Amino acid sequence: MTYDVEAVARYLPFLLRGITVTLQFTVLSFVLGSVLGLVFALGRISRNPVLRVPCRAYIDFIRGTPLLAQIYLVHFGFPQMFGYKPVGWVDAVVALTLNSAAYVAEIFRAGIESIERGQMEAARSLGMTYSQAMRYVVLPQAFRRVVPPMGNEFIALLKESSLVSVIGMEDLMMKARMMAGRSFKAFEAYFTIALIYLALTFTFARLLDFLERRIKTNGHG
Amino acid sequence: MVTVENLHKRFGDLHVLKGISLKVQKGEVLVIIGPSGSGKSTFLRCLNHLEIPTSGKIMIDGVDLGDRHTNINLVRRSVGMVFQHFNLFPHLTALENIILAPVKVLGMSRSEAEDRGMELLGKVGLADKRDAYPDQLSGGQKQRVAIARALAMKPKLMLFDEPTSALDPEMIGEVLGVMRELAIEGMTMIVVSHEMGFAREVADRVLLLDGGVIVEEGTPSEFFGNPKHERTRAFLSKIL
Ligand SMILES: Nc1ncnc2c1ncn2[C@@H]1O[C@H](COP(=O)(O)OP(=O)(O)O)[C@@H](O)[C@H]1O
Ligand SMILES: [Mg+2]
Repeated sequence: MTYDVEAVARYLPFLLRGITVTLQFTVLSFVLGSVLGLVFALGRISRNPVLRVPCRAYIDFIRGTPLLAQIYLVHFGFPQMFGYKPVGWVDAVVALTLNSAAYVAEIFRAGIESIERGQMEAARSLGMTYSQAMRYVVLPQAFRRVVPPMGNEFIALLKESSLVSVIGMEDLMMKARMMAGRSFKAFEAYFTIALIYLALTFTFARLLDFLERRIKTNGHG
Repeated sequence: MVTVENLHKRFGDLHVLKGISLKVQKGEVLVIIGPSGSGKSTFLRCLNHLEIPTSGKIMIDGVDLGDRHTNINLVRRSVGMVFQHFNLFPHLTALENIILAPVKVLGMSRSEAEDRGMELLGKVGLADKRDAYPDQLSGGQKQRVAIARALAMKPKLMLFDEPTSALDPEMIGEVLGVMRELAIEGMTMIVVSHEMGFAREVADRVLLLDGGVIVEEGTPSEFFGNPKHERTRAFLSKIL
């Protein structure tokens, strides 16, 4: 049992190139998922069942099924059913976005519901419409409160994005699989990649701490 | 200005308002008193449809609130409301609290809204607090900003729901002072309050709401000096 330091050193630049891909998938899906998630959150709390019921069904479906199944469904299922050619990276972003949106929706919903009812009422009493009250009064306050859970969602997404390697995306995880295949150093490959993920999540967690502290010290509400 | 006819409000099985009828003339100050849970807040909240009445009719400045064609947002522009717990927007400064609705709802220019906002802050004695956030203000200051915020929409009617009951005693006077001034300027006001000094001095009429009905109403001198109903006497003896 030996740990092949030399092999790790040789493959490290190769592995590190996967960081860009992993971050691209994570950031893109997080941004798109956040926008979509906000829409689902607003639908989910709507009093109109035509909006509320489908949003709720969507959120429950995504949160109740494995991401891996969702990725296969988007990449293999839909193209076969509707007869089009799958594009790997698009499907990866779509699957991660659709997945993240459901979790983000629940985060936003909790954030919105945590704002005292009096805020909405005060806004409405001034003649604002529901949308104006949401936009200018409730959401700005909710956004501050969701920073910590949104940060956690980003970190979770960063880790879960490793699943897109199963449809051939050359992210960090895929790089490790390739290294293992070529060098026959499975332990070195997967342990190194685990450390790289850890370094990334650790960095983002510290960044999040910093952000939270800043909001606490100079944020009102 | 305000006409209410046979107003009922139920929350499920709970029958809170059991047929309220009253009229408030332009420029009149009506003070409503009554035990906790008697429906005072619910009544005020029906007047701007924060609660939808179960039945009955409410007319404000000639507009029937129950009419399908009535745009409640338009009515609310001209009906200011001041809440027991202020409900200031904590993410905005005092001045921003005041100008938000004029800018977003009335489409007023920011500079015009700020000029008017500063005028109103001056009127409530808080011109130096324009950039303070609500959490940097005392309770009395918060309530004065909240009054200025409501006034910024140039309302024709102001509703006050126990505006001083969440305040430390030493801050009550400053808020009542602002309200007194408003009354003198001719604002039509409906005030839920147990500040009897204020009611005696400022109110044109006082009304006791109990069990969801109007038990007694009259001018302050009649109401306090010579209450006709036993329940009024009992209630007054408890709070005076
Ligand atoms: N949204 C609501 N849902 C159910 N019950 C309510 C609601 N609002 C008020 N009530 C009930 O209606 C009654 C009257 O309340 P309220 O108008 O706040 O009384 P007051 O302001 O005179 O103290 C109380 O029993 C209260 O619990
Ligand atoms: Mg009340």
